[in-house]
Amino acid sequence: MTALLEMDDLHYRYPGSPAPALNGATLRLEAGEKVVLIGRNGSGKSTLLLHSNGILRPQRGQVWVAGQPMSYQQRSLREWRRQVGLIFQHPDDQLFSASVAQDISFGPLNLGLSEEAARQRVAKAAEQCGVTDLLERPTHALSGGEKTRVALAGVLAMEPLVLLADEALANLDPWMRLQLIAIFEHLVAQGKTVLLATHDLPLARTWAGRVVVMDDGRVVADGPPQHIFTDPATLERTGLDCVVAQAGNRIDSIDR
Amino acid sequence: MQLIDRYAYANRLRNIDPAQKTALAVLVIGLCLLLNRPAVGLVATAWMGGLTVVRAGVPWAVVGRVLLAEGLFLVLAVVGVALSFSTSPPPPPFRSFQVGALWIGGNPASFSLAGLLVSRALGCAAAMNFLALTTPLMDLVHLLRQLRMPPVLIDLICVMYRFVFILLERMQRMHTAQQSRLGYATRRAALRSSGLLASRLFVDAYQRSTRMQTALESRGYTGDLRVLPLNYRYDARLSVLGAAVGSSLLLVWGFS
Repeated sequence: MTALLEMDDLHYRYPGSPAPALNGATLRLEAGEKVVLIGRNGSGKSTLLLHSNGILRPQRGQVWVAGQPMSYQQRSLREWRRQVGLIFQHPDDQLFSASVAQDISFGPLNLGLSEEAARQRVAKAAEQCGVTDLLERPTHALSGGEKTRVALAGVLAMEPLVLLADEALANLDPWMRLQLIAIFEHLVAQGKTVLLATHDLPLARTWAGRVVVMDDGRVVADGPPQHIFTDPATLERTGLDCVVAQAGNRIDSIDR
Repeated sequence: MQLIDRYAYANRLRNIDPAQKTALAVLVIGLCLLLNRPAVGLVATAWMGGLTVVRAGVPWAVVGRVLLAEGLFLVLAVVGVALSFSTSPPPPPFRSFQVGALWIGGNPASFSLAGLLVSRALGCAAAMNFLALTTPLMDLVHLLRQLRMPPVLIDLICVMYRFVFILLERMQRMHTAQQSRLGYATRRAALRSSGLLASRLFVDAYQRSTRMQTALESRGYTGDLRVLPLNYRYDARLSVLGAAVGSSLLLVWGFS
């Protein structure tokens, strides 16, 4: 079976940086997966995500989408970014328009859709993310949680096959987090793949079907959460051992 | 600015075609400038202030406050027109009084010129306020696009407008953080802190624009910020009122 998104042996060093940010990172995502990506600050999570839709170009290695090797020509980038959606921690970095509806319409119009089709995409994505009531509001009058959902709608309006979120749940209240996770669940139910990069270990343990651990620019562990969180070597290596024991115990007691 | 912006999004003329509102404002400004009578400016001020309050539903207090601020500026600006300063007593028809070695004087002609300038500028300002308080920037941008303004300029306006609010918020947060570490305790510290804040804001704006570029590229940005046009409605009553404003200004001019 061909993977939906495959990043194979990626190497990347930021200009002027002594150490590589990615040092042979490899990750395969299949259709319908729920993946959580964890790792210390600076372990290369964000850099890896920026390779997933061609924002950064690896100095070595190759990215494949649905079995096709990706090229960095303008035309193939467009198709690539339609298939792989990326959202970021700070919604203010993504929302460029003062109008919510117009901001959501940006991606669909870039795909070359007609205004009518784009309007339908906006309505659908807004409903999916529960922001229909906000469409007429100015962007800068929204709360943090509302901005996050609008930013998500802006990406979902492009109908990606894979959605990768870089710390998108950080800074949200528990209720809002649940809303977003419900949206992600819905996407997975449609056969799409969702990957969340997060420091939220309880979420990794309870929600994810698969946990990927990064360290030093490499994927150092990859498997179901019950394996990852019970492997002392991995935990120690990633500095997660200090919290996992407590968090794990707490969740176990809730599970029972 | 935030106050004006809030009413621009929440007033009863919000969904009226911006072209119609702009045409009314331009008409009044044009008449104020062409018809050189103080009464014309005053009647225009009353009309536009009244329309903003009655038709658009913006509170009296807001309209008055904005107009008052502009009025103060105007009065300060025409002091030099109305009064003349000299070291010797000016000849008649100047009436003057002496402050120390300085003679401050004015004549009927200079006073009426100053009055004309204030009333004319006030009429224009009231017309601009009407537009500013009833029309969000995105609507004006829509109009500029219809008027075939170069897209690059339009994109610049949009992004700058967004950034004003983002930087304002960021500045307030940094200011609070500085205050809580006694950054403004003494005049010396305040000077230093505001300098640091300004320079930090430049760096911040740069980093933020880089992140925004990344987020836009993820949604297929290739150099053109294309978004859906908004839907507006034409208001026949506003046109009738516009005609009434125009003809009443002409009448006032004829009789004065």
